[in-house]
Amino acid sequence: MASINSDEWRAICDKFTNAQNLTEVESRNDPENEPFRSKYKARELLREIYSSLKCFNAGEGDEESREESTVQRPPVEPVDGQREDECGQDVSGDSAAGLRAAKLGAVEYYLGVNHVDTEELSAGQEHLMNCMKLLERCSVSSENVSLFIHVRNQLGILWASRDETETAQGFLETAEAIYQRYTKEDGTPPTDMTEYFTTEENLLTHQERNKRFELAYTHTMYYLAQIYKNLGQNERAATYCHSTLQRQLQLNQFSPMEWALNAATLSQYYITKGQFMLGRHCLSAATVISGLAGDVPSEAAAQESETESERREKLRQQRAEIARCWIKYCLNLLQDAKKVLEDNIGELDTDRQEELKRARRREEEEEEKGRKNALLFGSEDTFDSIASVEEKVQCLFPLDFTEARAVFLVGQNNVTQAKEYFVMDGYVTDHIEILQDHSTLFRSLAFFEEDLERRCKMHKRRVDMLEPICQDLNSQYYLMIRRQMMFELAETYSEMMDLKLTLANRQADAQSLDSHTIKKFNHLCSASVKYFQMFLDSLRSPEGKIPEHLEEEVLRPALVARFRVGRLHSRLISSSPSAQLENLNNSLENYKYVVDYCEAHPEASATVETELELSKEMVGLLPLKINRLKARMATNNTDDDAVH
Amino acid sequence: KGSGDSSHLAASGDGDSIKVFVRVRPLTQGTGLTTDGDQSLCLTVTSPNTIRLLSKPEPRTFTYDYVADMDTSQDSVFASVAKNIVESCMNGYNGTIFAYGQTGSGKTFTMLGPSELDNFTDELRGVIPRSFEYLFFLINREVEKSPQSKSFLCKCSFIEIYNEQIYDLLDTASASLFLRENIKKGVFVEGAVEKFVNSAAEAYQVLSMGWRNRRVASTSMNRESSRSHAVFTMTLESKECINSVVNIRTSQLNLVDLAGSERQKDTHTEGSRLKEASSINRSLMCLGQVIMALVDVSNGKNRHICYRDSKLTFLLRDSLGGNAKTFIIANVHPGSKCFGETLSTLHFAQRAKLIKNKAIINEDTQGNVR
Repeated sequence: MASINSDEWRAICDKFTNAQNLTEVESRNDPENEPFRSKYKARELLREIYSSLKCFNAGEGDEESREESTVQRPPVEPVDGQREDECGQDVSGDSAAGLRAAKLGAVEYYLGVNHVDTEELSAGQEHLMNCMKLLERCSVSSENVSLFIHVRNQLGILWASRDETETAQGFLETAEAIYQRYTKEDGTPPTDMTEYFTTEENLLTHQERNKRFELAYTHTMYYLAQIYKNLGQNERAATYCHSTLQRQLQLNQFSPMEWALNAATLSQYYITKGQFMLGRHCLSAATVISGLAGDVPSEAAAQESETESERREKLRQQRAEIARCWIKYCLNLLQDAKKVLEDNIGELDTDRQEELKRARRREEEEEEKGRKNALLFGSEDTFDSIASVEEKVQCLFPLDFTEARAVFLVGQNNVTQAKEYFVMDGYVTDHIEILQDHSTLFRSLAFFEEDLERRCKMHKRRVDMLEPICQDLNSQYYLMIRRQMMFELAETYSEMMDLKLTLANRQADAQSLDSHTIKKFNHLCSASVKYFQMFLDSLRSPEGKIPEHLEEEVLRPALVARFRVGRLHSRLISSSPSAQLENLNNSLENYKYVVDYCEAHPEASATVETELELSKEMVGLLPLKINRLKARMATNNTDDDAVH
Repeated sequence: KGSGDSSHLAASGDGDSIKVFVRVRPLTQGTGLTTDGDQSLCLTVTSPNTIRLLSKPEPRTFTYDYVADMDTSQDSVFASVAKNIVESCMNGYNGTIFAYGQTGSGKTFTMLGPSELDNFTDELRGVIPRSFEYLFFLINREVEKSPQSKSFLCKCSFIEIYNEQIYDLLDTASASLFLRENIKKGVFVEGAVEKFVNSAAEAYQVLSMGWRNRRVASTSMNRESSRSHAVFTMTLESKECINSVVNIRTSQLNLVDLAGSERQKDTHTEGSRLKEASSINRSLMCLGQVIMALVDVSNGKNRHICYRDSKLTFLLRDSLGGNAKTFIIANVHPGSKCFGETLSTLHFAQRAKLIKNKAIINEDTQGNVR
């Protein structure tokens, strides 16, 4: 009988090392016309190992007869995920027979992976299933648990590539269950599959064993995250992404830059679900971990060496991306708070505010509880740093101006940081998106501001940041973004106009506006009209025609813009009757457009219900007003004539 | 109150959706391809715009803008796909033609013609040489009509995107290039060589020079041509003086040869395949892509994704859901061995139909005095 230290065994071990080397190292340098050369060589070696292994172990006791008997048994197709009890477990994993099965299984496993890698899926599947069959007779033990998980990971990948998601899910969920049971019931550092074919002096340390085992399971989590995503189970998928990240962190198996970007992206999932505590947690972790990637090399250093310059570029970009995720956090928190607090005309509902403040104490307790239940990130080293980043911004809805301002400022700081990398010259789209966010931050903050003069100034800031760019942008390449900006500018001017009027009405006696205020008011009103009109013009065909049929995506904005233009025209203040007449006619024309369009396209009515109703009303009323004005003008004229 | 209206615009972009042309190549014979000698078909062309795939248990019918059978001539492919786009380019629109399909499905034949063809008067020449001819035919006609007031300027660039890196095919010595954006120019490849051309022959020369480099590159730097996307861009600038007002229009014609569809494991074409990280040292970078997909479905909320579009989609953003005229030629092989790939190509082509495009004119009135 060959002993574990015999030359024969050593030869097998060498072959194995060789095959591993061919697969993992050499294969990368294979020529293009023979892309799998090394893998085919490795395959041959594995086959040789397999047959020597069969002979090698044949002498080891009376296994042969037992094997005969098991072969007689009706074959049981293992269907993972459906079968809880592992039928026919008659070999304990740590016995000689169990170890032999595991070794043969491992070779089958490597052969399977090899075939899958070389695009021979069916053959790969066969080998992997052979491995499963060999293991099926064995109980899970520290000798084979790693193989149990690896082979299921591979089968999961294989079936997923055939669009058989449920089959893949079964294998991966079984892998998960095996891991959990093993760590609960045994937990000793399991043998790594490569150790089956190493001589005793090359066995791994416990630490290394553990590391590899945990990594295999991290991959199970990662594959399951994808499976659940493909099955449309987003919440579950997000949980598995979260666990994957947490495991990487705990086991110190990650690249800081990648990890931070993944966590920052995950935060966006949570904030769009309204889960701000988790969103903030992901972002804080992203900030802390991205710090582990080191300092950004200076410009001078970047000019010296190419690697430094690449690193500088990457780090700057990554940090700017994380800053942008923070902006969105602040933005969504403010906007969602606003939604909760606003009354039916979009103003701060003070009763609601009081009520929510009273409820706040309760919420804070809830937050603590939630924190205990939620998945959290952190390793021993990072936990405190993450918590201290979290403290810098709240995750409950801001309820008054002071709280809103604190959130706003965090957002604004991140705007500054993001803009340092995403400069206009080179990153037009990104830069503008950041500006748009900045503008929206102001808009959300303005909601909380009670001083109307200051509120107006906030809107002025929005105009100042968007207006010059809107003029300069090439309309061919940035059509969509320009449309958004035109609409936003139009709305902002409208908002300012309303604020000015409210202010003026408060200060002066009603209806007696001074000429300065009127001038200001009319200016804001015309500016708003101008941008709505620019937006509407952007819809024209190359020949300058207004489209007869509005596409779904622009239907609502186009009709709303028409409606608003109609309204704005009627609000312009003028003392000259002829100018008044012109304004009213303009107004009527725009209201009419909305009504006529909806008549011709009944399906449009639903998208602009309120606007349509008001437009109809105005189309009824305005002609009367116009006629009255005309009549008055006529009388005035005759009066004038009479005087002369 | 009109709050929130601007957010409606986020997904804007209307009008001409991308047009899709499916072309079925003839069966291969004696070419040494794996599809050789496979005489059983997996599909039939049932009408000029439908194709029936003999899938099990039920055959499936797909509908496109055009479906060309095996015996469709190169000229008629050009007439249905490119003629209109070239004409629009003359009028100031941007246009893009993509070729998509499995390696061996006839992409190069459709786009260029028989390989190693330098004589581009051949009856079998593809869409690209024909587009060049037609474009210069139109230019010459315009100039002849009004030699005093109209002039044109044509320049070409040719780049390759491999592994998310951009290489200049007209200057193989250059390192990888970057995509940048400019407030006036839109997206462009910084530092890409631009060659001025005055005739179809010159344009074709630039193209074939780059094409050769693409092949050379595939051996010297261990890149496979079928794993790279090649983008040939022709920029057309026209100047017209009417009563001392100078109108300048620029437009771009992009001709894109996409990587073989079976290689595109990292794009959206792959369906439900898992991203692997099986080898022990491989990173889990793709986790981000998974999360990205999760975030994307949430309803129009304001969010930021840290992962950018691929270089190709960023470069051609304008052609995909932007404001340009776009045609996708999906090439398929009829052999039953190719069933899987053909199905995935047909699926891709159908998804592409959902992308909407809006063509707008690009007119820039510069000053009043010349």
